[in-house]
Amino acid sequence: MGKRVNVTGIAVLVFFLLLGVLITIRYTGLGSNFFNPVGGVMQRILSPLEQPILRIGNVIRDNTRAVWDFREVSRQNEELLKKVDQLTGDNIKLKTEILAGMRYSVLDQGQFRSPTLEKYEKIGASVVNRNPTTWFRTITLNRGRQDGVATNDPVIGDLGLVGKIVSVTPTTSEVLLILDGEGQVSALVRGSTGNSTFGIVQGNYKRGSRLTSEGNLQMLFRREDSINVGDLVLTSGLGGVYPKDVPIGQVKEIRLDPSGLLKTAYIQPLVNFDSIEEVYIIKIVGEK
Amino acid sequence: MRYVLIAVMFLLSLILPGTLFHFWSWSGIKPDLLMLLTIYIAMHHRLPSGLIWGLGAGFLEDLYLGRYIGMYTLTLAVVASLSYWLAERWYRENFLITTFTVFLVTAVGQILVAFLSLGAGLHWSLSDIGRLVIGVSLYNAILVPLTYPWIHQSFVRGWLRYRPRYER
Repeated sequence: MGKRVNVTGIAVLVFFLLLGVLITIRYTGLGSNFFNPVGGVMQRILSPLEQPILRIGNVIRDNTRAVWDFREVSRQNEELLKKVDQLTGDNIKLKTEILAGMRYSVLDQGQFRSPTLEKYEKIGASVVNRNPTTWFRTITLNRGRQDGVATNDPVIGDLGLVGKIVSVTPTTSEVLLILDGEGQVSALVRGSTGNSTFGIVQGNYKRGSRLTSEGNLQMLFRREDSINVGDLVLTSGLGGVYPKDVPIGQVKEIRLDPSGLLKTAYIQPLVNFDSIEEVYIIKIVGEK
Repeated sequence: MRYVLIAVMFLLSLILPGTLFHFWSWSGIKPDLLMLLTIYIAMHHRLPSGLIWGLGAGFLEDLYLGRYIGMYTLTLAVVASLSYWLAERWYRENFLITTFTVFLVTAVGQILVAFLSLGAGLHWSLSDIGRLVIGVSLYNAILVPLTYPWIHQSFVRGWLRYRPRYER
């Protein structure tokens, strides 16, 4: 005689198991800051192993880029040569007009300086790992609670905004990139006339470019808003997470909504997220 | 030795996708090495043992990622059960069938991750979910011819040999 299987019992068990897991997932989501000593120990042990692998990979990629992308590099080289003459002539004008408009100045090292950021303490950090899953856009940094890093501290790169801290262990911290749709940023578009239009920048899920490094940010506007290709997008300072006037990107394309009431601006980030290696953590939350 | 090797493989499966495979990612898609390892383990173990490995691996990944605790625990438990069930019915020695099994099971696992992500309130469009599921499944399947012969040999008569399964 075979064993009797209690189908109802199994169904109830599966239901409650699924419910339990969904509740746990919900309460341990992004920025929940729950107590996770095992994860902290794992990060502490594994990050010294991850950093050299990432560094070696970066070195190999940088030194062999011309080989793998020969056609692309050749094309870029031709384009750049053509642009050199034009850019040389426009250099002074650009510095005075565009950089003044952005309210930051390019230093010798190519790092921007915003007056809003001056008052905050910044910590330099290296990228030691990227999210091992394909589902989230996060990076792990080699600075943690011991360095004064706290959840929701903004993170900037040499050219602009990178994201915010979503979890911290004693020695590492995880950054949710602005490319991830969960990392929305309150922003403003500053046009050539100096007018500002406010909106929300978010990771682009809907255009199929969610999985490519190009055009992964988008912003929604009313049809009558004055937005043009080439306009700069900066943080607005609203929302309490990101400081004001940190550059995010540049409007690359504008498309009208099928309804004709709205338009979507596709934004090219200033930071190259694929090759980012060093960042600054701004201790806004950590200082409070 | 067997447990040390499996532990090392678990740790490598956590480290490599974010580091080495960042440079070998295809349009941002990386393989899910821990899911691949769980499939291999479950195919070479009995159900309770494979299930425990799946639960353990998933819980480890959840703690390592530090959020959405339970997402990978549940997913890898389901993946382990499904892998065992398919390995019992399909010829495990045939690498082509194993490649297809890995593709199928990874797809189910990734769909479950997507379902749980939506349940957790994350916003994903169906087209992106489709691209991710197929992309990760394909990547995992591509890795089978490179990894499975070694792992299978080791599970059958090497350091990873699991006696209860092969001495019945």
